[in-house]
Amino acid sequence: MKLPATSSSKAPVKPTADNLVPIRLDIETEGQRYKDAFTWNPSDPDSEVVVFAKRTVRDLKLPPQFITQIAQSIQTQLTEFRSYEGQDMYTAEKIVPIKLDLRVNHTLIKDHFLWDLNNYESDPEEFARTFCNDMGIEDPEVGPAVAFAIREQLYEIAIQSVASAREIKISKKGRRGAEHAISSKGGGNALDLMKLFRYNSSVVRKRKEWYVYEPIVDILSNEEVDALEAREDRNTR
Amino acid sequence: MAAKSPVKEPPGTSAVNPTTPLAPPPVKPELPSSSEPDVVNVPSYSRWFSFDSISECEVKFLPEFFDSRSPSKNPRVYRYYRDSIVKHYRENPSRKITFTDVRRTLVGDVGSIRRVFDFLETWGLINYFASVKTLKWEDKETKSSAASAESSSALKETSKRLCNGCKTLCTIACFACDKYDLTLCARCYVRGNHRVGVSSSDFRRVEISEEARSDWTEKETLQLLEAIMHFGDDWRKVAQHVSGKSEKDCITHFIKLPFGQEFICKESDSEDVDNKFFSINNPSDAVSESENVGATSPSKRMRLTPLADASNPIMAQAAFLSALAGVEIAEVAARAAVTTLSDVDDRASKGSLMRNTRQQEAGVASNGDATQNALARASVDASSLIEKEELDVEKAISGIVEVQMKEIQDKIIRFESLDLQMEEEWKQLEQVKNLLFVDQLSVLFHKSNARKNGDRTEENVKTDVS
Repeated sequence: MKLPATSSSKAPVKPTADNLVPIRLDIETEGQRYKDAFTWNPSDPDSEVVVFAKRTVRDLKLPPQFITQIAQSIQTQLTEFRSYEGQDMYTAEKIVPIKLDLRVNHTLIKDHFLWDLNNYESDPEEFARTFCNDMGIEDPEVGPAVAFAIREQLYEIAIQSVASAREIKISKKGRRGAEHAISSKGGGNALDLMKLFRYNSSVVRKRKEWYVYEPIVDILSNEEVDALEAREDRNTR
Repeated sequence: MAAKSPVKEPPGTSAVNPTTPLAPPPVKPELPSSSEPDVVNVPSYSRWFSFDSISECEVKFLPEFFDSRSPSKNPRVYRYYRDSIVKHYRENPSRKITFTDVRRTLVGDVGSIRRVFDFLETWGLINYFASVKTLKWEDKETKSSAASAESSSALKETSKRLCNGCKTLCTIACFACDKYDLTLCARCYVRGNHRVGVSSSDFRRVEISEEARSDWTEKETLQLLEAIMHFGDDWRKVAQHVSGKSEKDCITHFIKLPFGQEFICKESDSEDVDNKFFSINNPSDAVSESENVGATSPSKRMRLTPLADASNPIMAQAAFLSALAGVEIAEVAARAAVTTLSDVDDRASKGSLMRNTRQQEAGVASNGDATQNALARASVDASSLIEKEELDVEKAISGIVEVQMKEIQDKIIRFESLDLQMEEEWKQLEQVKNLLFVDQLSVLFHKSNARKNGDRTEENVKTDVS
C-alpha cells in the first residue's frame, strides 16, 4: 500500500474521541524495502508492539532483522505521540479543511471537506468506511488509507495548535497583544466562522464552489500506476 | 486476553442460532474436509457462530468491544471486523489468510483487528483445515509423537477425539452422544457441560484403547528397555529413541511388561502407586494423588487441577475419575478403599501415639502392599495433623484465658490501692475536723473564761471599792 510521500510520520493528539495513532513505516534493510501505514491504539500495552512486529514479519515473510526495526519505529512514534498527549491545545471554534489526495493500488482519491476539531465524536474510521461504501470502492485497502490520511492531517493541525498554545503563553508573558489576533486564526488554516455563518449568508455552499468539494475517485490503469509510482520514487529520492 | 486456547468451555448456546448459512450440519473435526467448493467446514465447537448475531462466547473472549470503555469499539465495529475477516477467508477456504492481509483491508486500529483475527483463528472459523492440525498448543508435542499422531490420525481418525465442551483431547475414555453427535471428555460429562437439550443418559462411554494403535514388536521392546536404562525417567528421550511410539505408549507398555516391578526403585514408589492408582482408582485420596498422576502421565492436556464444582471438589474429582475408569473398576476400587480406610481407622484409634501407627504402617509396608501403605500413611498423617491442630487450639485458648485473668487481677489490685488511699485521706480529714472542733471549743472556753474573769474582776473592783 503506497501513499504519497509526506514528511510527517507522527501521531495525532486529541482531535478525536478515540486517539488512534497513525503509524507510518518505511524501513529498508538489505535491499528490501517495507512501507506501510496503519493506525495504532495507544492504549494497547507496549508488549503488543513486538507481537505485531513479529506477526507482520512472519506474514510477509520478511527477514527477521525487520522485527526489531519495526518495533523500534513504532515505539518512537508512540512515544512522540505520548509527549504531545497531555498538552493543551488552543482550540477555539475550529473547522478545518481536510484534503485527501492519495493513491492506493489502482484507486486515486481526491477530496476536500471540512472537519470540526471540537467535535470529538467525529470518527475518521467511520468516515472512511462510509466513504468507501458510498463511492462503491471495491479495493478494500482504500478504507484504512483514507482514515490514515485524515488522522495524519488532524495530527498536523493538532501539533500546530499545541505549538501555538505554547507561543500564546510565551506571548502573554511578553504582553504582546497583537499575537492574540493572529493565533486566533490558528495559522490561517481554520475558517472564520463568523464570516461564513453570518446572518446574511446561507449555510448552503455556492454552486460555483461545488467542484472544489466534490470527491473524485479514479480507477487507474496499469500504465498510469507505473508512471505515477516512478514519479513518486523520483520525488522521494 | 485474546483467546489463545480456551480451556473453559463456551457457555450454552441458548441465545444463538447454531447453524451457519454456509456450513452443513456440524462436522466432527477428525473427518477429512469435503471437496465440494461451496461447503465450508466449521469445527463443532464453533457451532455458535452466525453472521446475524454475537454469541456469549465472543463477548467473553473479546470484552473490549462490549464494555463501552473505548468509544471506537462497540459491537457494530466488532461485527464489521469479524464479518469481513470471515468473508475474506471464505472467498478462498483452502488458502490460509494472514493477519497482515486482513488488516490492510480493514479500517481500524491494528491491535483490535489482530485480537479478533486471533480469536477467529483459534476457534477455527478461519484458516481451518480439518485434517491433521487441530489446536495450536499441540505443536508442543515431541517429534516422535507428532509423527505417530499424523500416521495414526491418518489411519484411525476415531482415536483422536476432541471434546466439544472444553476442546481438549480425549484420551482414556470419552462419552459420545449419537443423537446430537457430540463428544465430551469425562470431565465435561461429569460437570454436565453439554447442550441444554441433552441429558446424561444419552451418552455412552467409549473406551479409547491405546494398544489398538500399534503392537509392540520385539525390536521395539528392546529399544524401549535400552532407552530406559540410558535415560531413566526422561520419557521424552525414551520416546524419541524408540521409533514410532509416543511417550504415553512407552510408559504404558513399560508398566505392562511382566518384570516392570523390579525396575521401579523405591523413590518412584509414589509414581508406581500413581500408575496403579490410575487403574485402581481410589477416590478417597483424590486430590493429592491425582495431581501426581497429572504430572507423570504425559497427556498433559488432561490437566487434573480441580476445576470442578466449588461445592465439593473432592467429590467432583472422584466422579470424574470414576467416569474415566469405568463402572466396575470404580466399584472395586471403592470397596477396596473403604475396607482399607476402616482398617486404618481401627489401628489409628488403638495406637494413640503416632509412632505406633507409623510402625504399624511400616509393618504393613513390609508385607509388600504398596497401595495400602501409602493409603494408611496418608490417613494416619491426616489424623495426626488433626490432633496437633486440636492441641494447638487448646493451648491458644488457655493462653488467652490466662492473659485475661491477669488483666482482671491487675485491675483488682489497682482498685484496692485506690481504696486504701481513699481511707487514708478520709482519716486525715477526720483528724483535721477534730482539731478544728477542739480549736473551736477552746476558743469558746476562753471566751467564757474571759467573761467570767471580767465579771470577777469587776466584782473584785466593786468589793475593793466598797
